[in-house]
Amino acid sequence: MATVVRRLQPRPLPPGPPRPTAGWRRAGGLKWTDHLASLGFLAPGAIWLLAIVVYPAIATVRYSFFNENATKAVGLANYKALFSTADTLIAFRNNVIWVLVFPFVVTVLGLVLAVMSERVRWATAFKTVIFLPVVFSVTASSLIFTQIFQLDPHVGVLNAIIRTVDEWVNPPGAYPLTSGQTPGSLATAGVRPGPGGTLVSTSAVKAGGTVRLGLTGISPQTLSVLGARPARLPAPKPGAVTGLVWRDFSPANPTDTKDVLPGEDGLPNLHLSLLRSDGRVVGSTATNAFGQFSFDNPGPGSFHVRVNASNFKTAFSGIFWLGPQSETPTANLSQTAQAMLSVPLIDISMVLAYLWIWAGFTMVVVAAGLAALNRETLEAAHVDGATEWQTLRRVTVPMLAPVLTVVLVTMVINVLKIFDIVINLGADSSQPGGQASTLASDVYYLGFGGGVHTGLASALAVILFILVVPAMLFNLKRIGGER
Amino acid sequence: MATATARPLRLEVKPKWRGGPTSRIGAALAVSALLASMASTASPAGAATLSTSARTAHIGGSVSVWAEWTSTEQQDFEAALKPFESLTGVKVNYSGKGSNMDTAIDTAVAGGSPPDVALVPDPGTVISLAKKGAIQPVGPVIGSEASNYGAAWKSLVTYNGKLYGVWFKGANKNTIWYNPAEFAAAGITAPPKTWEQLLKDAATLKAAGITPFSLCTDIGWPVADFWQNVYLKTAGAANYNKLAAHQISWESPTVTTAFNTLAQIVGNQGYLLGGTKGALSEKYPECVDKVFPKAGATPQAAMVFEGDFVVSEITGNSPNYTAGTKGKGGAACTTSVSATPCYDFFPFPAPAADQKNNSAIQGAGDVAMLLKPTPAAKALIKYLGSPQGAAIWAKAGGFTSPNKKVPLSAYPDPVTRADAQELQSATSFVFSLDDLQGSWEPSLWQDMLNFVKNPSPANIRSIQATMQKQATAALGH
Repeated sequence: MATVVRRLQPRPLPPGPPRPTAGWRRAGGLKWTDHLASLGFLAPGAIWLLAIVVYPAIATVRYSFFNENATKAVGLANYKALFSTADTLIAFRNNVIWVLVFPFVVTVLGLVLAVMSERVRWATAFKTVIFLPVVFSVTASSLIFTQIFQLDPHVGVLNAIIRTVDEWVNPPGAYPLTSGQTPGSLATAGVRPGPGGTLVSTSAVKAGGTVRLGLTGISPQTLSVLGARPARLPAPKPGAVTGLVWRDFSPANPTDTKDVLPGEDGLPNLHLSLLRSDGRVVGSTATNAFGQFSFDNPGPGSFHVRVNASNFKTAFSGIFWLGPQSETPTANLSQTAQAMLSVPLIDISMVLAYLWIWAGFTMVVVAAGLAALNRETLEAAHVDGATEWQTLRRVTVPMLAPVLTVVLVTMVINVLKIFDIVINLGADSSQPGGQASTLASDVYYLGFGGGVHTGLASALAVILFILVVPAMLFNLKRIGGER
Repeated sequence: MATATARPLRLEVKPKWRGGPTSRIGAALAVSALLASMASTASPAGAATLSTSARTAHIGGSVSVWAEWTSTEQQDFEAALKPFESLTGVKVNYSGKGSNMDTAIDTAVAGGSPPDVALVPDPGTVISLAKKGAIQPVGPVIGSEASNYGAAWKSLVTYNGKLYGVWFKGANKNTIWYNPAEFAAAGITAPPKTWEQLLKDAATLKAAGITPFSLCTDIGWPVADFWQNVYLKTAGAANYNKLAAHQISWESPTVTTAFNTLAQIVGNQGYLLGGTKGALSEKYPECVDKVFPKAGATPQAAMVFEGDFVVSEITGNSPNYTAGTKGKGGAACTTSVSATPCYDFFPFPAPAADQKNNSAIQGAGDVAMLLKPTPAAKALIKYLGSPQGAAIWAKAGGFTSPNKKVPLSAYPDPVTRADAQELQSATSFVFSLDDLQGSWEPSLWQDMLNFVKNPSPANIRSIQATMQKQATAALGH
């Protein structure tokens, strides 16, 4: 607290620049030739602004009333077309999600990080690390996050974590089903689908009997990994239920099922249970490399052999973070309503990535605001026995309000025209015009994507501009007020 | 097709000019000389003929050329132009524009500073520039070389009865690539010839535990390409061209048939690697790697539909990959990449009832246009129409030419040879229909993805209605 105390010492005001007085009053009496010089100095900047801001802005408004290659005026047709497609609605909805969620969350995150950075030991290092993503190009950051969010758990870290946990809790079987397969679709000979994703032998068997269970749709690679050997029916054994589970597919004779042909392999390491006629499990075993199994001494009565469901459990195949699907609890609504009300997963993924990028910036701005706070008030709060949380809520945040507002408004403008992360992060199937698209990315696709339509793109750019105006005016007014 | 037959060249015989590459008049004289010398030896056209004639004709000067090729392709193209440079003394200033070639040339023409010669990947650009009068007819320039191309190719770049383009490079999208080792593991001895056989083979592969298809459909255009092939094979080239021009409604039964046909694959979760979710996340070229992996990985699917440009991806994954159905040294193909893996393709099969459509091919190609009729530029156009340059690139690999005079022996392996033969013998050749749709193309891609997401008959009906609306709004009819 020593530093704080020292800072609280009253300091003399530094001698400021002399206030302009007489010199300025003379300005009104200048001759126009004197203006000429200043105009000359202004000219380069003015011309630059006219050429790259004012002219393109006017041209954009003009183009928005023209057809796709700006050769024919079409009136308001472009605007009508935009407002009558679901694509624009989706883009608009995404912008709304961005504006509602992102600025608020990133400001709060910045505040939390800034307050934390005052408490940690290596504050500078901490701030540097958090700030680092701001320095990266958004494209580079997006590419990093496309890897993190990859569907394939072998590539995407996020899915890899989920997969690891999933496999630990609930390990996959030796014969995981591939897409489109059900345990029932694997059965060819001597088996039928049983309850709960199991397979059960069709015929009952008594001790001393033998059963054959044929399965199909098993990849040769799975077999070579498990070290499968050619299928051979075991000899009957007195007092035991024996049998064979084999891959009922022969390349030489792909249409023949039900027979054990040369070149067909047994299915090793398949977990089986023996069911009594009343459904009780009376034994369990696993097949050997030849696909053979044996339940010794099951006792009297007739039995069914069950292939356990655990054999077919598929490994977690990944969440499609960047995909076109949306978490829509609104399936019974109209398509337009669905488009407006759903929150696609991709938006959440993009917001997460964008938070990582911008949290450092808001943290630094808020930290600067914190450093400039009147410490006396904070001290007073402490002396009065306020807890940390109370201090933050009742003292720090209200005093920081101007800074937080600036951060919030800046971020609102930032995400209203959000573009780079959408283009770079979303899987292509979720854009253009898909679940990820925003107004700015649609402007780009309409104007420069597959079909060039300057009219539509310009019209959308004008709409986007109109949407940004309130936030802009608010910010301008604030800056004006501060002066 | 007025230019289809070799027409005698009208020539002003002027003295040969052997000066330095400076004066425009000199260059003008030179082209006449070149043409004269070509005409004098223009018996059976061919590589030998051109080189003899060109040897005697030094032109000099320079010619600016734009095309889409960059990096390796740029090197191959420049290598193919080397003989032209050394024989004529013309310096070729090549500039690779990447995928923006069409836009680049439109802008350059509008801005009044086009190159002398440009190769564009879209015959539509050729026709639109011909309408504007921005390019010169090439018939008189290439003369007998025009007979090197099939009628299907020439009709694509003919406007008002005049030929405006010279095809240099072709790309074949009529190809389904398969891993022969996977086919063998499922006991499939010959690739399918009909759509029905393809479905049967897919079922066999699935029974063998092998996923039949890896789709490259995280984005709309590969679905569009796939669908366009199905439409071409079910409805025929005439209907295809009508639909491309929107003279057929998107709600027509032919369109429904194509969607339903494709749904037999796309709608079967078991046929797609990772199901629909997997298909929608699979990017090009990773989708190719799933069938033809790098060393250390195993193939996860048996077939991938894409154009012939996938070969570079396959051979880039491992130098072990051999073209055809036999591995290195005649060994059997293996799924293990470190042993003797192979790659091969079969032509996109039409349904048994529509076998007549098998020689209709969807593809793409680069066509050379003459923007400034300078002598050097004309000589280059003629050279590009001759088989000489194309044969050089063909040897380098990754290249097929629709030019019939490029000997099949110039291609390095049986797969490329079969590919080139398909191109040369196509009775009709159609370009990507989506590229002709103007402003609603991105919407079309989204509609196609929507189809992959839900290929049910009800959704197909609603997609067709949407497409019809979009096409009408965008094309105005």
